Amino acid sequence: MNQTLQEPLVRCEQVTYKHYGKTAPALMDINLTIRRGAFTLLVGPSGSGKSTLCMALTGIVPQILGGKLTGAINVNGRDASKTPVQELAQSAGMLFQDPEWMFATLKVEDEIAFGPENLRRDPKQIIESVEKTLNFVGLQALRKNLVWALSGGQTQKLGLASVVAMDTPLIILDEPTANLDPAATHAVHRLILKLRDEGKAVLLVTKDLDEFMAEADDMILLAEGRVLAQGAPRDIVAQHGDKMLELGVWLPEPTEIGLRLKADGKFDKPVPLTVDEAVTVFSETKFRASSPDQKLVAEPETLIRADNVEFVYGNNFKALRGVSFDIKQGEIVAIVGQNGAGKSTLSKLLVGLQKPTAGEMTMFGRSAKRWKVQDLANHIALVFQNPEHQFLCDTVREELAYSLLAQGVDDAEVVNKRVEEMLARLDIADAADSHPFSLSAGAKRRLGVATMLIGGSAKLLIVDEPTYGQDRRLTERLIHLINKLREEGIAVLMITHDMRLVDAHIDRAIVMANGEKIFDGSPNELFQSPGLIERASLRTTSLRRLVDGLRLRGVSVPDGLNTVDDFIGAMQ
Amino acid sequence: MSEHSLRYIENGSFFNRMDALSKLLWALLVILTTFQLESNLARAIMLAAVIFVMIALARVPLKTVLQATPIILIMGSLLFFVHLFTAPSAETVTIAGMDFGKEGFDKGLQYFFRITIMVLASFILIWTTDIRDLMVGLVSIGMPYRYAFTVFMALRFLPVVQQEVDAVKAAHAIRGRASRSPLQHRFRLWQRYMFTVIVNGLRKAENTALAIESRGFGAYPDRTFVKEFRWSKTGIALLLVFAAFAVWLILWGKNRAL
Repeated sequence: MNQTLQEPLVRCEQVTYKHYGKTAPALMDINLTIRRGAFTLLVGPSGSGKSTLCMALTGIVPQILGGKLTGAINVNGRDASKTPVQELAQSAGMLFQDPEWMFATLKVEDEIAFGPENLRRDPKQIIESVEKTLNFVGLQALRKNLVWALSGGQTQKLGLASVVAMDTPLIILDEPTANLDPAATHAVHRLILKLRDEGKAVLLVTKDLDEFMAEADDMILLAEGRVLAQGAPRDIVAQHGDKMLELGVWLPEPTEIGLRLKADGKFDKPVPLTVDEAVTVFSETKFRASSPDQKLVAEPETLIRADNVEFVYGNNFKALRGVSFDIKQGEIVAIVGQNGAGKSTLSKLLVGLQKPTAGEMTMFGRSAKRWKVQDLANHIALVFQNPEHQFLCDTVREELAYSLLAQGVDDAEVVNKRVEEMLARLDIADAADSHPFSLSAGAKRRLGVATMLIGGSAKLLIVDEPTYGQDRRLTERLIHLINKLREEGIAVLMITHDMRLVDAHIDRAIVMANGEKIFDGSPNELFQSPGLIERASLRTTSLRRLVDGLRLRGVSVPDGLNTVDDFIGAMQ
Repeated sequence: MSEHSLRYIENGSFFNRMDALSKLLWALLVILTTFQLESNLARAIMLAAVIFVMIALARVPLKTVLQATPIILIMGSLLFFVHLFTAPSAETVTIAGMDFGKEGFDKGLQYFFRITIMVLASFILIWTTDIRDLMVGLVSIGMPYRYAFTVFMALRFLPVVQQEVDAVKAAHAIRGRASRSPLQHRFRLWQRYMFTVIVNGLRKAENTALAIESRGFGAYPDRTFVKEFRWSKTGIALLLVFAAFAVWLILWGKNRAL
């Protein structure tokens, strides 16, 4: 092993931390080491303390956020809990979840220079470092651009650049691709690997492990604030894979297949970490010829019909160009495409917040132009990516009652009964008297759905990025709810970048690119069109790549294996 | 694609190319002069001059101006009406067949002009200035960079707060109305806008503070700047011309009836 990799850069000993005003610790008895130059993955379910741990390594916890920290954190020879955050910035740089809020200046090159300027580096040296960093992240052509004119992927690259320019031995990346389209995610992933190649110690928190499992030197598994395991990813998966699945940690599909088979006693080889490994491992496998059961066929009634719809913003930006599609009762549809492709504009049109500037859109048999937002709200429910935006009341119970009152249900007894039913149905009864803002991320999302569905008249539910910030367990819960709604005849439209979700749970995908609809069909058709995938900045799932790899090796694999369950079910 | 009215516009205009400190001094000069003016006609001339600067020298797009108009006019109009209806007055003026106190009318106009000019001049500064240049300028004249940066951050995040308000408004619109009274409903919505925007704003401000501190902000009493501040000739020329105009206007407006 590389000699530098043996040298510890970060050492945590018996670290316990309680947030200010909280009794339960967010981190408990943490003992871990991050080696100089090592690429370390930090994984765990939602709320396991990953972000808190990252902030502890930069001194933000407890120095700025308060709370009580015991134990010792040593970063690059400095005591992280006592060395001022600004001084520690020379040892550990951190990219936060939403880099737009990191930006302290207006222009790309100024933003990269901001950190080194704070550290009083020589202006000539800073200019050189800005040049080097711009080249590193590939933003050279956008150096004079205003930060708010960047796309999602460019914003993330700039966030990364502004941390890289600090030239710290440790770079901490907290969910750097959480809201990016698959192609932009891939581009950022490549940059992260490039950083590793340049000898930086990288600590990465991400749910997109596919490209990193085989590349990382170390993995730290966190649950309920405790380190459950630390070591090489292969060892962690071999020894704690079942636990990771149980906790709801997102794992690459090939790894999940290996673990599930092992748990059933049907597999005795090492669990594959990559698609290539899985192709080798499963190349002798026989599959049943029959494809799995087809998904429920949607009812034919058309709820929404868009015919050549266009939308132009006031600044002449044409967000939609001649888009046509139908949405039928009881079907689950996903709108996918790169950031800025027109997906959000389309959802605004669907809920009546905007009207088409050309073309015709018919909603429930009436022209979109004749619908008022409030009336349409009785038929179409939209759950925002940030559900907090739609909350209006001080308790969860009041929030649900509000929706009923808004729909003219004012009999107190009926309101109470329906609120109680909905609280139980979405598993938020325990939090009935809590403030909506104080709920966990998963509960907020469920409350968002509940407020929109409690009226009982919604025929279409639109969910913006259903898996954003959710671990696998929370996502499965939401999908279970969505499937139940579909059984009740409600159509569900998801706006998402999550290709695994698209492949596994939807009937139809509408693909957008530069304001145009470039595809409308089943996930199977979509993922078998490489040109389309590239044009729309999408990526196939690792399960699809595994199936393709097996077929290339001459293995006969049936069509329609969209999920890990399908794959395992089709194995003989 | 967002369309927000309070953000920096880079269009290569005369004002765009001027140094940031001259623009700041120009805005201060306009505001201070307006408070010295003694007649509403003089204040109207000052407003016209500021509008001229906005259109001819700053080339602010009409659309941006229209988007910002409610913010610009709302305070001025409110003060106008408050004085129109409340100021005691012996004489009356008739407007659209209705009698109003002359004193209230004059006072109302005076406050309308003062506030409108003040807001408009500040907006021109925001629209045409890369606030980083303003920060560098303030530091170059001796302001500690932490204070200069406070001004800078407040301006940097104005458009982001506006974006947040838009998102919350859109989300609330689709929730429908639970109250029979439109006024009560509106009040509730405003209460919520404020709550959500303040809570999210504080959270985001906290994130920003964490992010900039973790990038070494405040590590030393001073910092280096890649770009240095330089006074521009055009800026100084504009300041001189406006100073002369201000003196003339103050003298011209003295003891005028209107």
